[in-house]
Amino acid sequence: MRSAAAALVILAVGAPANPQAPAAGQAPAKTAPAKTPKESAPIDLTGNWVSVVTEDWRWRMLIPKKGDYASVPLSAEGRKIADTWDPSKLASDGCKAYGAAALMRVPGRLQISWENDTTLRIDTDAGQQTRRLYFDKSQKPQAERTWQGNSAAVWDRLTQPGGLGVSLQQGPGKPGALKVVTTNLKVGYLRKNGVPYSEDTVMTEYFDRLTAYGTDWLTVFTVVEDPRYLNQPFITSTHFKREPDASKWMPTPCEKPEARIQKPEARIQN
Amino acid sequence: MSLTTGQRLGVVLLVTAGSAFAQMDLGGEWAATFQEDLPHRGGVQLGDYTGLPLNESGWRKAQSWDESARSTFERQCIPHVVTYAMRGPANIRFSKIVDPVSGELQAYSLLGSYGRPRTIWMDGREHPSELAPHTWARFSTGHWERNMLVVETTHIKTGWLLRNGAPTSDLATMTEYFTRYGNYLMLASFVNDPVYLDEPLIRTTNFVLSLTTNADAWGNCGPAQIFDELGGRPHGWVPHYLPGQTAHIQEFLTKSGVPAEAARGGAATTYPEYIVKLEKKDLDNRIFPPPAPGKSFPRVVSPQTSGTAGEISVLPVQGNVYMLAGAGANMGVQVGEDGVLLVDAGDGKATDQVIAAIRKLSTKPIRFIIDTSANPEHIGGNERLAAIGRAPGGGRAIDSAGPGAMIFAHEAVLAEVSAPSGQKALLPIGAWPTEAYPGDSKEVTLNNEAIQLFHVPAAHTDGDSLVFFRRSDVIVTGDIFVTTTYPVIDKGGSINGVIAGLNRIIEITIPKDWQEGGTMVIPGHGRICDEADVVEYRDMVTIIRDRIQDSIKKGMTLEQVKAARPTLEYDSRYGSDSGPWTTAMFIEAVYRNLSGK
Repeated sequence: MRSAAAALVILAVGAPANPQAPAAGQAPAKTAPAKTPKESAPIDLTGNWVSVVTEDWRWRMLIPKKGDYASVPLSAEGRKIADTWDPSKLASDGCKAYGAAALMRVPGRLQISWENDTTLRIDTDAGQQTRRLYFDKSQKPQAERTWQGNSAAVWDRLTQPGGLGVSLQQGPGKPGALKVVTTNLKVGYLRKNGVPYSEDTVMTEYFDRLTAYGTDWLTVFTVVEDPRYLNQPFITSTHFKREPDASKWMPTPCEKPEARIQKPEARIQN
Repeated sequence: MSLTTGQRLGVVLLVTAGSAFAQMDLGGEWAATFQEDLPHRGGVQLGDYTGLPLNESGWRKAQSWDESARSTFERQCIPHVVTYAMRGPANIRFSKIVDPVSGELQAYSLLGSYGRPRTIWMDGREHPSELAPHTWARFSTGHWERNMLVVETTHIKTGWLLRNGAPTSDLATMTEYFTRYGNYLMLASFVNDPVYLDEPLIRTTNFVLSLTTNADAWGNCGPAQIFDELGGRPHGWVPHYLPGQTAHIQEFLTKSGVPAEAARGGAATTYPEYIVKLEKKDLDNRIFPPPAPGKSFPRVVSPQTSGTAGEISVLPVQGNVYMLAGAGANMGVQVGEDGVLLVDAGDGKATDQVIAAIRKLSTKPIRFIIDTSANPEHIGGNERLAAIGRAPGGGRAIDSAGPGAMIFAHEAVLAEVSAPSGQKALLPIGAWPTEAYPGDSKEVTLNNEAIQLFHVPAAHTDGDSLVFFRRSDVIVTGDIFVTTTYPVIDKGGSINGVIAGLNRIIEITIPKDWQEGGTMVIPGHGRICDEADVVEYRDMVTIIRDRIQDSIKKGMTLEQVKAARPTLEYDSRYGSDSGPWTTAMFIEAVYRNLSGK
């Protein structure tokens, strides 16, 4: 018992940086190859998911009227842009509402799959967009701005950095969510009625999984930071329900005529 | 090998760290963010149920809800029910409750957001009996899954999803996932209500860690803080909209441009394919479509069935009073130095088990039995239970301490169960009340407690009594109030008598604080309640009465009234298509009471 305890202490206090490093004169020991992001995934995000619109229904299922940007922390400059939106051009600039900063809020279905060992891919039927979440940090981001931008992904592991005291007292790291940071976006809309985000936008997302009342759910916690058009982070969280297959997949282009715009006489609430 | 003091300390830290730090720290103050679902969180309008998976019962109940209800005496102090509280525009505080001896985490305290303080038990305890009381925040247990605190909550009072009447029933339960992402906290909550929802409602709510917030504990709100905000309203007034009244709904539709069908909610409206319907305008935009003929709203099986015959549940209620369930109807049991007092005696089919249960509470003799009515489920055990008792002086025996407990009831009960000599009585003489009181009331004392019997004329029957234990602060109601069915209107009873009885209960009960607790109520059937539960039931019965009365005024026949489904939104909770008291029987009884036909 004493020796076991001592071993624990040694591990905690002074474990060598690489315990598998060979001693002088010895041949290098074989080490197991590091797991790929796909292999080390603490949660399985792949599959078919459908958004269930229980929040912001009026702004997501319908197209809000011009000037209805309630609850979005728009800056003065952002408001100015939103107020220039022309509903008659919905069909021609519709793809702006399907950029990464808004895409998860668009009612629709997702197909999530591993494109390779280091890239998670999200396809949407609404707007027919594809997001690629890259775990491989060595991959060079594409230069041109796109609707979906560049997304750097990492499995979030909940550990606390610190000195000896901290590392002694904390338990093992807890597997967390998928954290994704997206940049290099084209100018787009947070809402279909022209509420803007700029090229300077940085979006941080956490993808997570949970189960309740016998149903699997995917949640996406999203923080959109745009120093130009927002005066504070825009925080939303969006949920998707697992579906057994893709039978309800309903691809619709991002540029199409819209008949869901709220009545012109509709008054803005709040 | 020997260890130094430092090494020993290291071992202790390492070995004990696991339990204390096996989860994320949620402690601290969290400020709510309001960048999502603002129309539903910051002053929701009547008629806006968009995005809620309400079933037909749910949206119909919501449409009948009148904002004035909040100003009634009985509702002024109602806080946010837990199915809504976390959506409120306020901040929250997570705190750890740690066992001072072991240092282990026992529970989290969750405070703020206009709801009652919550305790989330982390020590593995079980949820209470299904017959236990419900509260606004009620019973939560938690455990960790990966990075998420998972909380299961049951025993929630009848409440709401939004502050515009979108309802939840007292059969609703809730599962919540609290997840910390850096300095953000996301709550994914699921409300499952088989009575009013097509499918569980999921909502996500976000908070940010705040160093300057102080979640509000909200102080007291009780009878002392309640005033007459409405003025001039009759006693027992229940504000509500009658079926077909739509002006309060129309306003939202006109201003928002939301189609009427979508505004009613429903699971189908929350899926992307509903966009196709919206685009095609393939919608039923009648604000109040009449109920589909023949559509069934089956009863959701309630766990609150007073147990199974022969399986007696004993629940402490308050003070010296317990509830026994499982003997047909609920029984109240008061115990003390003087002996045992029973309110009702069960149906007589499980009397051995009832006696065994009583003996676990007290070995003293049964002194008194009080019958709340002549209903066989309540008095079937009279004869045997009285026979093993012993009156405290007097009673049926010639000498002053003879065998047999005394049986009290209103005189109408005696008239019902007895018969003149030579004629056959409903019950044998040993089961008859020994003290049949006339008039409005009767007083009894036992175990140093004053006990009042109040007769309610022509309610469930013509011989109903409410039994009020003044020191324990508990009322046993008999079948004037139940949580399992519509009120049974039996021989000599009436709908207006039931409503008067319910209002009498509400007069007697005084909530402790925030419209919960205080005087506790043992119903004739179902779970332990308090005033707020009686108010919900009273409102339901009153609303149905008003609807049928309105139909009678319009000249509708009984068949037309039945077709109009005046009970629709309550049928899944209280209705029945079979058995001794069906929904059709209830509607017919009310119709005949009110119309005199």
